[in-house]
Amino acid sequence: MFLEAKDIVKAFGAFRAVDGADISVAENEIVGLIGPNGAGKSTFFNCLAGDAEPTSGTIRFLDQDLTRATPEAHARLGMARTFQVPVTFEDMTVLQNVMVGAFLRHPHRTDAQDKSRQVLEFTGLAHLAGSPARSLGTPGRKRLEIARALATEPRLLLLDEALAGLTPAEVRLAIDLVRKIQQQGITIIIVEHIMEVILSLAERAVVFHQGKVIAKGAPRAVVDDPAVVSAYLGHHMKRVRM
Amino acid sequence: MILLQVVVSGLLMGAVYALFSSGLTLIWGMMNVVNFAHGDFVMLAMYAAFFAYTLFKLGPVFFVPGAAALLFVLGVVVYLGLVRHIAKGPMLAQILGTFGLALVLRYAAFWAFTANFVSLPDTLVGGTFDIGGLRIEASRLLGGVLALIITIGMHLILTRTALGSRLLAVAEDRSAAMLMGIRPDRMQAIAWGVGAASTGVAGALIAMFFYISPTVGESLALIAFVVVCLGGFGSVPGALIAGLGIGVVEALSAYLIGAVYQDVVVYALFLAVLWVRPQGLLGTN
Amino acid sequence: MRTWPPIGIAAFLIGFVVIAAWPLVVQDVFYQRIGALVLLAAISASAWNLLGGYAGQVSVGHAVYFGAGAYASLVMFTQFGWPPIAGAPIGVLVSFAIALVVGTPTFRLRGHYFSMATIAAAELIRILASNWPLVGAAVGLMGPPVPRSIWDLSFISPVPYHYLFLAVLIVLLALTWHLQRSRMGYYLAAIRGGDRAARSLGVPVLRYKVYALLLSAGFTSLAGSLYAIMVGFADPDSTLGILVSVKMLIVAALGGAGSLFGPLVGAVILIPLEETTNAMFGGSGTGITFIVYGAIILLIARFQPGGVAALWNSILHRRQARVS
Repeated sequence: MFLEAKDIVKAFGAFRAVDGADISVAENEIVGLIGPNGAGKSTFFNCLAGDAEPTSGTIRFLDQDLTRATPEAHARLGMARTFQVPVTFEDMTVLQNVMVGAFLRHPHRTDAQDKSRQVLEFTGLAHLAGSPARSLGTPGRKRLEIARALATEPRLLLLDEALAGLTPAEVRLAIDLVRKIQQQGITIIIVEHIMEVILSLAERAVVFHQGKVIAKGAPRAVVDDPAVVSAYLGHHMKRVRM
Repeated sequence: MILLQVVVSGLLMGAVYALFSSGLTLIWGMMNVVNFAHGDFVMLAMYAAFFAYTLFKLGPVFFVPGAAALLFVLGVVVYLGLVRHIAKGPMLAQILGTFGLALVLRYAAFWAFTANFVSLPDTLVGGTFDIGGLRIEASRLLGGVLALIITIGMHLILTRTALGSRLLAVAEDRSAAMLMGIRPDRMQAIAWGVGAASTGVAGALIAMFFYISPTVGESLALIAFVVVCLGGFGSVPGALIAGLGIGVVEALSAYLIGAVYQDVVVYALFLAVLWVRPQGLLGTN
Repeated sequence: MRTWPPIGIAAFLIGFVVIAAWPLVVQDVFYQRIGALVLLAAISASAWNLLGGYAGQVSVGHAVYFGAGAYASLVMFTQFGWPPIAGAPIGVLVSFAIALVVGTPTFRLRGHYFSMATIAAAELIRILASNWPLVGAAVGLMGPPVPRSIWDLSFISPVPYHYLFLAVLIVLLALTWHLQRSRMGYYLAAIRGGDRAARSLGVPVLRYKVYALLLSAGFTSLAGSLYAIMVGFADPDSTLGILVSVKMLIVAALGGAGSLFGPLVGAVILIPLEETTNAMFGGSGTGITFIVYGAIILLIARFQPGGVAALWNSILHRRQARVS
């Protein structure tokens, strides 16, 4: 099994943000995690990435138990992630940002630099290599997040709402990039709000609601699933009633 | 019996610690800026009380609220002139900013008043009470009780008044507060004013029974940090309990090991707590 | 790395010549001494810079390492008759021990908490030292009253100290420059940029923080030993006090924390200012020096946290913009 998470529970005191969720991902798939706000998909995502330790459950990646592994160990084993709000290294240039990722597999500066230039080329940021990272706008920063993660040569890439806050034109460019990444053989798990993105990108969707997985399957099928509809609509209705 | 005496004395001092630490926790909780000059605010209040008495013959009834008012103004000025600008900047700027302020205040006092200790006369709030076999100086008793009352008062104001809920709203979610029509800038200035005013009262109270010198701020600041870290930043009840606790620990250490090492015990306790529970004993993550 | 613009190279060369020739050009002992003190301050600030500037971990308790170096040198002299310089490696080892035992656990803390913990740890050690007879308690220790051999490094003239300190500074800056360009340099910059993001890229954050701390502590300790050798004396206030820590910090911050020459520039500005203020107003006993320090820190924090280095970069940018 490429990636398998079983019975993940993440509790904060009495509150269970994730209440028994499973997922299994095959190599080179694109899987979407969706669900209304507060459904637990981000917490689950953080557990997968190693940023949060599950209260119980197991996570296995490439036949290794990663349940309690540190984020650094995740990166070394080939699982990289981006952050919803990009954490750009403001004091460095775009190239230097990517080099931090590249140094994981290339300890020598010139090798890391070459690898970084390749990644910048691939992600369409080559023309900004020498620019200070702080001069980038939001779409640039999101793209840089992805480039940096790619530089660690992952086999699995976790994208955390990488397309939120982009204009429709930018979203289309981002979708192209994600497809390009998949073509390189990389597996992708994407957390997303925007339905169109999931529908056009994901091969499989996993729907979260109140900490549990309520539906799994092809995106079109999942969107029509009555349980999913009521989870989204029910949520919406509650707000309207207030 | 002596042990009880030590504990009571520690509690009274601890109440004063709780008072000025509540001010720090309010400031810290509001905007995540640590005021390294907090101890020097207390020092200034001590001198204000001293001069109010020696120059103008004003008693505690005047100089306690007077010091509070003076420090309130200082707090607002510091916020508007300095803190407001450094809060948006890098960590280094925040630390340097209030640290620089601390140095300026401390050494301006040093230069103006010299390093010599001064103190208010014992007769100001005179006498010693004998309560159930315990001997307590009237000034310490007054100081501790007043400090306790005012700290509880601060907590009540924060949680029960409209002003308090506005302050807490800004502390919790600045943008949401703005949407509700609250002006965060004004609230933060008030928070700094109130935080500083708490040092005003505390300093004026301490001045009645403690020696006054320009460098007392250094160790008082660290005590405030310890109390705030132990009690959880932003929590006035936490600061109260932690303040009382530290007062007792300090008094017991002085009695059992010697006054020279009392600070060592407090700092060691601080480091131990930070190590074991980085968010404080009562704080949330 | 970016290539240096011609004006930067020119400034560097001029600066180097001035610093190297200084004691030979100014014949007055007062000015020669200032030169040596500038270099000593540059060494400790550059050492602090490794942890506080490059790695972004703002320690306000570095005096503990400075004091360890100063005391180790003098303890080796008072207990065993060694020339103080021979105690310097012992100081470095002691600093490593302190760094591992006291410093490393503080890395679990973020931001302000970390800084406060470093202050508390340093104050704790200062109080303990003030009561420890081996290090002379509150009175402190003295070095060899009369030089017994050249190894005692007791010179009347500040000139030999100037060149000794310059050699050490060159080694430290060369090491820093090499580090900046290596994987460690990038990893430290990433840690400064954000622990969480750095981790997600595979950076072993704690390990690299400890490396930075060990390097920083070691060189700070060496600076302390050199101080004890030049001044011939160490006591808790002058070597372990909070003002020692603060001075390192502001010298680095004034010039530009996280830049290679920032600490040196800061030292060049601040130390002559301190010595002149002391001379004019009668020693640090009046407190005016620290009022000036405090005011400078305030101004940097309020207007230009990046220090002179940031100012320099923005001037360069404007020049380049005009040129292109």
